[in-house]
Amino acid sequence: MRAEISLFAACLLWAGHAAAQQSLDSDYRLAGTQTVMAFEEQRQVLQTSSAVMLNGRKEIGYGIVISHDGYVLTKASEVISAADLSVTVDRTNYPGARILVVDQTWDVALVKIEASGLVPIVYAETSGVPQGTWVVSNGASSRLVRRLLAGIVSAKSREIPASGGVGLGIVLKGEGETLEIAEVGDKSGAKEAGLQKGDLIVAADGKKVKNSADLADALKDRKAGNRITITYRRKEEEATVEVLLAARAEMFHDDGNRNDQMSGDFSQRRSGFPRVMQHDILGNKSIMGGPLLDLNGKCIGMNIARANRAESFAIPVEDLKRIAAALMASSGAKQ
Amino acid sequence: MEYPIHILVLKILMKPLLIVLSVLLVITGHLPAASDARPYVNDKKAPENRKDLEVIQGALTQALPKARSATVCLEMADGSGSGVIVSPEGLVLTAAHVTGGINRKITVILEDGTKLPARSLGLVSDKDAAMVQILDKGPFPYVEMDKNNTTLLGDWVFSLGHSGGYDKERGSVVRIGRLVRIANMTFQSDCTLIGGDSGGPLFDLNGKLIGIHSRVGQQLQVNMHVPMHVYLENWDSLQKGEFLGDGDFAKRPEKGKGFLGMATEPRKEGGLRVTKVGKGGPAEEGGVKDGDVVLKFNGTKLETREQMQALLKEMSEGDKVLLEILRGGSPITLTCYLSAR
Repeated sequence: MRAEISLFAACLLWAGHAAAQQSLDSDYRLAGTQTVMAFEEQRQVLQTSSAVMLNGRKEIGYGIVISHDGYVLTKASEVISAADLSVTVDRTNYPGARILVVDQTWDVALVKIEASGLVPIVYAETSGVPQGTWVVSNGASSRLVRRLLAGIVSAKSREIPASGGVGLGIVLKGEGETLEIAEVGDKSGAKEAGLQKGDLIVAADGKKVKNSADLADALKDRKAGNRITITYRRKEEEATVEVLLAARAEMFHDDGNRNDQMSGDFSQRRSGFPRVMQHDILGNKSIMGGPLLDLNGKCIGMNIARANRAESFAIPVEDLKRIAAALMASSGAKQ
Repeated sequence: MEYPIHILVLKILMKPLLIVLSVLLVITGHLPAASDARPYVNDKKAPENRKDLEVIQGALTQALPKARSATVCLEMADGSGSGVIVSPEGLVLTAAHVTGGINRKITVILEDGTKLPARSLGLVSDKDAAMVQILDKGPFPYVEMDKNNTTLLGDWVFSLGHSGGYDKERGSVVRIGRLVRIANMTFQSDCTLIGGDSGGPLFDLNGKLIGIHSRVGQQLQVNMHVPMHVYLENWDSLQKGEFLGDGDFAKRPEKGKGFLGMATEPRKEGGLRVTKVGKGGPAEEGGVKDGDVVLKFNGTKLETREQMQALLKEMSEGDKVLLEILRGGSPITLTCYLSAR
């Protein structure tokens, strides 16, 4: 692992230089109220065609309106455990939102609200715009008004491999010479599938496994969001479950590296995406799930992860259209 | 793919079609290097409409390819940072806390992944400014500096850097912002920086270098850069490899802590025979080999080990050592730079 040279935490002695320094009023900075007013055209699109995802009264993310009758795309991992999911579009709150189907690979959920006459987002033709191109997404939201943040496309579109490789989210006892589970990660597929400490894994996808090397072999070439069939023994009884695979680094709580510590809030699921575009718009993590718009107000992507304080990822529109179509088809919705 | 195609075309056409090329240059005369005009959007308190936004975007996308080709990743023994090439001969500007010392071995990585050997020159330890020299022969892609300090508060700027280290699939990362604070020794922008960006460049909309990334605050909006005048005022000393200032960004080398990394024994006929060369140490990097006989150390004839130890005791990290060596009957001279023990 490479340890980056960390930037010094700023503790400059501004006092004493008061006469020599000038400062720009915050309204005129990149995220300032006066600056973002230039993006009013694009804000109007967010007003009508982005969605605010709420759990009770708490804002948990954003979404994209893709049909006039209430189909909405959002970031699955941020909404999946919401007990009281509702969606606000424009000035109306729609209670009783239902998660119809989830694409685990991309972490995208299709949500349905009972609505009509909504204004669906318009997809851009391509996400292949030059770096430095303006992009706009949801900023802090009020009950009635969608605000925006602006930034630029900042790096090449690419795959983000699962951080630490993919895994079940378990720690094995000892050195991995047996497959007895010593610990199950809080946010792991293993926990969701009901695996427990003390269980002994005996087969993966029907093939016998004896040690950690065998299991690693079974996981080779798998992606985050794939599932694997695990057979385990608990008190002499064997059982088989399906376990969702995820990035190893994202299934256990840890303090992260130095860049994480200076990043504030970031998305729990922020790696293991087949392809993302990168931009420099920074909200808190609940900015995710909403549309990424170009200056034409068209959707060139969907915000899917805030990776750290300086890097945000979006699903490119080409992939997003495919994901939306597949989710609609598997939910049985008429298109 | 993200580079405007006409720049690639110019490159390919350069040899056989010199005349066509100069015509093309006139037509596309607003290439970054040619443009010094101040974009009018900088003098608006805020952009007002789509046209203003497109002017900012147009200038940025135009300046970006050249700016990016000169932006480099600096890899050292203990981490990585960023830097920017400012001369065709491969002079690189970076932050003092990236190089951390004088005459340190550095690998410079260009945007396309080309790795080049380099060595740190001077630094200003209280202002976080440093210089690096690429050791291979150029010409290298480089950017122009804003030597006249023309940047004003509120100007639109963009930053580049190899955040978190070099990543070929991603490339260097560009971010937009405004110059939000100007103090004597510091620019502040709202281009958000993170570890690995340190030492990377801040540009104005014409693609001129106006600052080097130094440090960040807890808030996303607090991102500090060292202005060009700090480099320009100390240019000659930096190029000569001097350690300036007593600040927190780099620790002044201590006398007697310099390390050469080889074991020797005295030889009957005079000189010291090298019995062991430490892996990755200054002696090995300088080309010293097992069995070499060191005749002279910075011009002083050597007879005993104590003699060489006494000379080293008066030196510190980064100091240059010329070793006159007898190898296979013929004398050679090798250059080593002491490291910190």
